[in-house]
Amino acid sequence: MAPQDGRKPEVGDFISTPSAKQPKDWVLLLLRLLAFMATASATIVMALNKETKTLVVATIGNNPVKVTLTAKFQHTPAFVFFVIANGMASFHNWLMIVMEIHGHRIDYKGLRLAVIAILDMMTVVLASGGDGAATFMAELGKNGNSHARWNKICDKFDTFCDHGSGALIASFIGLVILLIINVKSITKLIKPNPAGNIGLLP
Amino acid sequence: MTKGWRIFTSSLRLLALVATLTATIIMVTSHDSAEVLNLTFKAKYSNESAFKYFVIAEAVASGYSLIALFVSSKSLLWRLVVILDVIITILLTSSVSAALAIAHVGKKGNSHAGWLPICGQVPKFCNQVTGSLIAAFIAAIVYLVLILYSLRTVLSPLITV
Repeated sequence: MAPQDGRKPEVGDFISTPSAKQPKDWVLLLLRLLAFMATASATIVMALNKETKTLVVATIGNNPVKVTLTAKFQHTPAFVFFVIANGMASFHNWLMIVMEIHGHRIDYKGLRLAVIAILDMMTVVLASGGDGAATFMAELGKNGNSHARWNKICDKFDTFCDHGSGALIASFIGLVILLIINVKSITKLIKPNPAGNIGLLP
Repeated sequence: MTKGWRIFTSSLRLLALVATLTATIIMVTSHDSAEVLNLTFKAKYSNESAFKYFVIAEAVASGYSLIALFVSSKSLLWRLVVILDVIITILLTSSVSAALAIAHVGKKGNSHAGWLPICGQVPKFCNQVTGSLIAAFIAAIVYLVLILYSLRTVLSPLITV
């Protein structure tokens, strides 16, 4: 809160005095928990996505020539970006949950809501980038592209594709919930809570 | 809502409009064909669903930028504009990253999946896609700056930062 007598802000202003105790926003907390679970499960499922298959490539005489192929998520930079983006989104959600439960006293000149809204925006944009790349990469793997002579790989590595689609769906759910949370944070800024002021007005 | 802020956000929106329009047009007019071993190899943006999504997303973003240029900051609609800005930024970043992922496969191939790069055969197509991606990237960054700046105007009646 701004000091009353116009002196320069000092270290003591970092922790605001609890003159107006903010009520906990249970709906927002629940949404953040759901978003954390969705993005964390998407990260974990995609990071553990691996399938090894032995395929018969040719037959020489009577002996089939076998080749062992592995499909890993690291083979595609789109999936690597997906894992990183969703990992950062779940870390952000966890941090926000911890801040919501324990950190109501931490405020810097009343900018807490603004910093939360800005961080939410960054996270939502990052998560959407990761989702977009992974979706179309998965679609390419599923259907191939006859014009570029790229064969589909999902018919051979179906477990890999199934796990990938599961991770994608979880990530989409997380993205939608993150967007709702972001809209709520922005509306909190535009219309401050009338029950308790956001600590700026004397 | 000072006049300086108004001019700054309007110019940002204009820049984003130009960038998204450029990206759409360059991607739509990108095509090339090559003859390899008596096979005609035609490359168009519509052969790939990621590029189709890219064109649609950029077109929607440019239409929205045009409309949002005319929303006055005093009307009640500017709150909706702040939220729609976030949604359009999401659309732009996802379309850029999707097109970038597919273009990366086209340029470098993917040895693990047995996908060969195609940029050697159709260089003109590849160059136009690259140019379109650069324009879309600029548009995404401009929109990111815009949504951060919109928050500042929401905050300005409250604090004197």
